[in-house]
Amino acid sequence: MNFWESIGLAVESIKANKMRSFLTTLGIVIGITAVILVMAIGQGGQAMLIKEMEKFGTNLFVVYVNYQEGGYTRPGDLTEVDINVIKELVPEVKYLSPVRYDRMNLRGSRGEEMAQVIGTNGEYALVRNFDTRWGNYFSQADYLMGRRVVVLDEELAKDLFGHGNPVGQRVMINGTAATVVGVLKKEESVFGFNASKNAYIPYSVTKSITRWDMVHQFEGSARSKEEVDQAMERIKTILERRHNAPNHYVTYSMEAEMESANKITGIMTLVVSCIAGISLFVGGIGVMNIMLVSVTERTREIGIRMALGACRRDILVQFLIEAVSICVFGGIMGIILGYGGASVVAYFAKWPSLVSLKTILVAFLFSAGVGVFFGMYPANKASKLDPIEALRRE
Amino acid sequence: MIKIIDIKKTYFTGRLAVEALRGISFHIRPGEFTAVMGPSGSGKSTLMNLLGLLDRPTAGSYVLDGKETAGMNERELAKERNLKIGFVFQTFNLLSRLTAQKNVELPLIYAGVSPGERRKRAALALERVGLSDRTHHYPNELSGGQNQRVAIARALVNRPAVILADEPTGALDTRTGEEIMAIFQELHREGATIVLVTHEADIARHAERILRFRDGLLVSDERVANPIDARVVLEETRGGGETS
Repeated sequence: MNFWESIGLAVESIKANKMRSFLTTLGIVIGITAVILVMAIGQGGQAMLIKEMEKFGTNLFVVYVNYQEGGYTRPGDLTEVDINVIKELVPEVKYLSPVRYDRMNLRGSRGEEMAQVIGTNGEYALVRNFDTRWGNYFSQADYLMGRRVVVLDEELAKDLFGHGNPVGQRVMINGTAATVVGVLKKEESVFGFNASKNAYIPYSVTKSITRWDMVHQFEGSARSKEEVDQAMERIKTILERRHNAPNHYVTYSMEAEMESANKITGIMTLVVSCIAGISLFVGGIGVMNIMLVSVTERTREIGIRMALGACRRDILVQFLIEAVSICVFGGIMGIILGYGGASVVAYFAKWPSLVSLKTILVAFLFSAGVGVFFGMYPANKASKLDPIEALRRE
Repeated sequence: MIKIIDIKKTYFTGRLAVEALRGISFHIRPGEFTAVMGPSGSGKSTLMNLLGLLDRPTAGSYVLDGKETAGMNERELAKERNLKIGFVFQTFNLLSRLTAQKNVELPLIYAGVSPGERRKRAALALERVGLSDRTHHYPNELSGGQNQRVAIARALVNRPAVILADEPTGALDTRTGEEIMAIFQELHREGATIVLVTHEADIARHAERILRFRDGLLVSDERVANPIDARVVLEETRGGGETS
């Protein structure tokens, strides 16, 4: 008997027990659906996360004082002079900005609000990949000259001036007047709208408003992704020497952050794959169970076939193909459902639907493999039946 | 066609050894119509299983169509069953999920005959037993006599060396049984070799030779002087029983 006829035979006997075959294959359907869905969500989420992080720039790094190990920030930990020294000595650094956070009272023509004011330099827009909606980010010259200028986040600008372009208007920052030179574009992200309400002013202005010189951290970007680690290492060494404070500084980079994010999604995928694997295993046992029932029910048929000239291998192949067909049918259903589910998730989460051909192929082969593995025992049992006994059975 | 020389079959059940056949020899010539008779436990079923290559003898030689079957492996035996033997059972043993046509095609599938050729030969076999108009019926849509005729068509379809019929009329009423015997006699006239197992003397007398068994031994081997002609019986009893 040739292969295609065996398949036809298997399909016919599956059709003869439609409901039973369907229920049997449900375990496989659920398993394969879960595998595909998890793979797609894992990969889609990871792609989204990476895209999100890349908005900040993958070359981004941060240097700050090590608070955890007994350290604390004090004036002189990080200074503006450090920036000049670092830029002089570390060629891997492209941009470097001092960053200082203060909560200050801001008053515009339409409103007043306590907001976070970031004191920094003109390169900060380049470090953080800022886009402006109106006007421009303040320049390095503004920073060096200590001009009283301010850049607002779009949400903050709305609170202070209502809708419309506020460039050229005046904001009172803790009683000091500053001119709005730019408004940053509100950014859309997976986590909803980025509704940060920050104001950005030259660090020199922060100093004059607060009469207090203390830089919280440096944010910078390296010339390339590969140079981030080198840049951070060198900066750390320079700062430790200059301030005579070993192990006082901590560095942090988007690159390292992304690696750990990748690791987490990798672990997540592994865990859920294990669960999916278990459900496929359970589904396989269901298939084995029903095939054993089928062999018992069809003992007489097996006897008849043997009497008519089927050899043991013919019987084995018949039942094996039947088990594989049930599983492959479930696998195909699972692929369809998983693909559909992944597309729905991708649609709502606004990330690309990532069901790769490889995933589909693996799912297909895996379901067939489950069929072979769990069908082997019943098929073998069928083929070992004694034809005389089998023919006598009712 | 069949050469049986000193065949023995012993079953071992636990410590007990049951001798079902205790040394039997006989020949069956091509074209012979032989009946095998005996009470239950006489060893006739065992003999049937051995002749049908469903079982192997403990000792002795069985030459089927000029080939010694002792020492054949499982696959060779399956092939011999497929090509040389046509089974007809008491309970028909048709597959209920398949139509008459598909049931008759079964042995051809295992013989590796192409689908087109299979259809042709199965249709021809069904025509020979007078069921051309029932090819697409399922077994449960056919009467007992019709089902047995499908089974005979299935036994014929691979042009076997011998047809083994095990109580083929046992599940049928007298008249229908007679119709089935008429078909066997028709096949016999056309040259088929037939071995018929039965415990009914009336049925056995349709054959031209009767082998009688008792306690695992062949006790008599006689020619039937005047075999019953099923056609004549049917003519005489016309009007009664099943008509088809």
